[in-house]
Amino acid sequence: MSTPEGVDASSAPVTSSDGPGSSSTRHGAATSRRQPPPEPKDSLWLRRAVILSFWLVVVVLGLPVWWKTTAIYRAELPLQTMTDWADGKICKPVFPLRIAVEAPIAQQDAQHLVRTTQHALDDLNDFSAHHLRLMLLDPPLAPNASQQVVPDGSILEENDKENIALLVRLVSVETGTTPRSRLQPYSPTLDVYYTANQLPSPSSTGSPLATFIAHELHKIFAEEQARLAYLLSTTSGARTAKSKSLSAETAAELERQSTRALKYAPTYHLTFSLFSPTYLPSAWEIEEALQDYLSPLLDSFRSISNFTVDTQVQLYSTFSPSMRQPEYDDVLKAWTLRKEDLSGFINAAEWPLSPSIGAGPTVNFALYVPDQAQSPLLVKENGGNSWLVPQWGGIFILNPADAHEDSTPSFLAKDALAPAMHAFSDQLVSLLGLPQSPASLPLRLSTLTRVRAASLLFSASSTLGALARLYRALPSIPVPDMVAQSVDLTAAHLQHACDSLREGRFQGALEHARIAEGEAEKAFFERSMVGQVYFPDEHKVAVYLPLLGPVAVPLIMAGLKELKSMTGSIFPKRSP
Amino acid sequence: MDRQKVLLFGAAAAVRLLLFTAFPSLPHLLAGRVEVSTPVTSFKRLQEGLFLYTHNVSPYDGGVYHQAPLLLPLFSLLPNPSYYPFATNVLFTVVDLLGAQALMQIADSGQSVKTRLFESSRKELRWSSLAMAAGFLFNPFTIATCIARSTSALTNLFILAAMAKASQGASITFVFAIAIASYLSMHPVLLFPPLLLLCYHVRASKSASAPSLLSFAIGHAGALASTCGGLLYVSALLTGSWEFMRATYGVRLLLPDLTPNVGLWWYFFTEMFDSFREFFLGVFWLHVASYMPGLTIRLRKQPLFVAVTLTGVFAVFTPYPSIADAALYLSLVPLFRHLFPLMRYTFLASATILYASFLGPAFYYLWIYAGSGNANFFYAITLVWSLGLSVIVGDSLYAALRDELDVERPELKGKEVKRI
Repeated sequence: MSTPEGVDASSAPVTSSDGPGSSSTRHGAATSRRQPPPEPKDSLWLRRAVILSFWLVVVVLGLPVWWKTTAIYRAELPLQTMTDWADGKICKPVFPLRIAVEAPIAQQDAQHLVRTTQHALDDLNDFSAHHLRLMLLDPPLAPNASQQVVPDGSILEENDKENIALLVRLVSVETGTTPRSRLQPYSPTLDVYYTANQLPSPSSTGSPLATFIAHELHKIFAEEQARLAYLLSTTSGARTAKSKSLSAETAAELERQSTRALKYAPTYHLTFSLFSPTYLPSAWEIEEALQDYLSPLLDSFRSISNFTVDTQVQLYSTFSPSMRQPEYDDVLKAWTLRKEDLSGFINAAEWPLSPSIGAGPTVNFALYVPDQAQSPLLVKENGGNSWLVPQWGGIFILNPADAHEDSTPSFLAKDALAPAMHAFSDQLVSLLGLPQSPASLPLRLSTLTRVRAASLLFSASSTLGALARLYRALPSIPVPDMVAQSVDLTAAHLQHACDSLREGRFQGALEHARIAEGEAEKAFFERSMVGQVYFPDEHKVAVYLPLLGPVAVPLIMAGLKELKSMTGSIFPKRSP
Repeated sequence: MDRQKVLLFGAAAAVRLLLFTAFPSLPHLLAGRVEVSTPVTSFKRLQEGLFLYTHNVSPYDGGVYHQAPLLLPLFSLLPNPSYYPFATNVLFTVVDLLGAQALMQIADSGQSVKTRLFESSRKELRWSSLAMAAGFLFNPFTIATCIARSTSALTNLFILAAMAKASQGASITFVFAIAIASYLSMHPVLLFPPLLLLCYHVRASKSASAPSLLSFAIGHAGALASTCGGLLYVSALLTGSWEFMRATYGVRLLLPDLTPNVGLWWYFFTEMFDSFREFFLGVFWLHVASYMPGLTIRLRKQPLFVAVTLTGVFAVFTPYPSIADAALYLSLVPLFRHLFPLMRYTFLASATILYASFLGPAFYYLWIYAGSGNANFFYAITLVWSLGLSVIVGDSLYAALRDELDVERPELKGKEVKRI
């Protein structure tokens, strides 16, 4: 017996064959010959009710469930503002530097000097965004002069004092070549020595002293200008037109410095490690050495970043087997390492130099004390004993000073560590991206502040732009409210940072730019957005079709069939 | 007859108590089997909830207990099952015996072969209620559920009681039983419409004037809603907050616990893309629910058959099925002994069920303990198990429709039919 085709067979539309003994061919013929009896009214309506009940479940419950559970929530983002930030349309960073002039001369003369110097300075400057503005400071020696109201309002308010980039102090001298200048190494002060006759006369429009000061100032800030110009030219094409053109070698030098420096982070972790191939030396006076040689430097960086310091001693640290062993050089009377082997000096597989301690980058400083048999150990090409690994840290080979002794000292005192600490300080300074000039450390630090603020500003802006592009390019990714909040915060802090820059409050600008950068990164790397990135719309077909197709096909076919029969019964065909 | 019943019930109770006492580690072993205990019915989880409850901590705080709050005061009356398991064992034995009693009532009512609107032409072909009870009590799945002390035994009891009371036309007890079953396991609420229809038919055939179906339905639905609401309210009073809703029904609806079981959901949702998870939870639940209206309309003359078929659907398509659900369905199917001659795949179905019952534990062992298989092994065997149950469901549906046709057109009886 052939079997009926479905388990949900409706009862009425059946045909009967001639009997149990009939063959299947005869059965088929019988079907075509004999019309099935008409379907009773009630079973027709019953079938329609059953189909309708399934359709009702699908439409009344299924569609809302589908709509509700697969809707992608996309928070509104201020796309135009974000793009404008990335294109630099909202904020054109300017760096108005206040330079105070302190002159022990009469107010009118001093103002005239300032004015002529400003003219000379403006003539020299070819980078409009970076602007030096001279201001006359109250001469502290003349209390009566400070009572006067200065017409151009260049008397400094108290809160502006910390925003002074440089103090120019005019000192009248009788001897020596004049004018001459001296930059104080640990304070942002430029002493200018002059003789009285070099002061410009009230009628003249220029004077040797004014020109000299202008040239000195321009020289001091030349590297900063170059850095900022380099930054502007690399970050966005839109800005290059306005920025000053850099010579090729300056650009290359800045490029080298910036690849060497670590990315900016609010916190850096410094690790100082002592490595020795033997059991000696087993102790070092690192805490005192750090206290004496490094802490002042770190303190001066405090306004830009924070630091944590770890130390460790690792004995029996051998070179990696793949590295070429040191060779003895008869000329230098020393064991030498070839320059090209220096990159393999750190045995990354065995030396425990952790790549990251908490958030923020780790800066590694390795002090290597060679075995007595291989001492002194130097770099073959230049006889040096320390080098810097870009964006990683520094290495110093400490050859024990008294080489005539038979064994390596078991204890490294603070004084023995001094050369290493000096080398590490230098390396740290370049790793942090501190400029090479001018000679005054506070000036270099404030330069770094400005450069960092500007680079954070650009990076946060371009992250916003990238997020806006992502939002437009991938309409299928969900965007939670958190992202919108972060974007708003970023934009607000960018605006603050930009305003602070314009007003010359560079420390505040750095703070705001730092927050903006953090928020922008948080928005861009929001985890819930990433999941859908690799899930294109075509894949939805692959999800829906095999799972819902088998359900949908019978439902739709049954529904269509019923609709057809219903329209057929309402508009009966004219039979011939 | 009565002596036979006492003998049967006594033997069933003796088997259970003997298994409990002769193999003291057996309940523990079975309670840990994924085929018997699911996260929403496990006795171990009940004990955890009980411990928290007796120490005045919210039982749902640990995230382990997902069963109804009212079970806690019931089981806290019994001595601690870790030290004095006898009382608990007796309770579960009694639950099984009461279930068998309810099953006998259903069989005795004869609603499976003859309702007010329909009378099968093969109604002489039926088993005695005693045989039905024996089939339930000595079903290995039922015994395993009882020994594992899974709380789905309670749900089964109340489903059986609801069917029994509905087939007797006892409105109040029917509504009460279906309310408790729904309160314990949520999905039995889908049994309400067919059983309501059954209750209505019985009442209408008993009284001279049939009450209006609409007012009858509204009255009973109202009673069900208020009973369920009352149970939930008492639960909220007991636990001090409505948090239990999320821990009990929320877990059943949203499937946070993907512990393997004999159903189809767990594997599917371990593989599901996260963004489609909610959607397919909706689809799967709607799939379970969508059988109810269609079957109730189509087979409105045999509502008991609809209810029994729905328990089969539950055993396959609910999120946390266990062999207890299958035991319930397989014990109810013999009510329709008269359909067996019309079923075409009895051998296939019974072979599949046997095959899955023996290979399931073996494949689970290979996956979890031996490590020589993976999750696909166990999932494949649960697919076979579900296939077997679906074949029985589908085949019995076909047989029921064929049976109706025979009544409608007696001249086609015994002849082959073809659907057009």
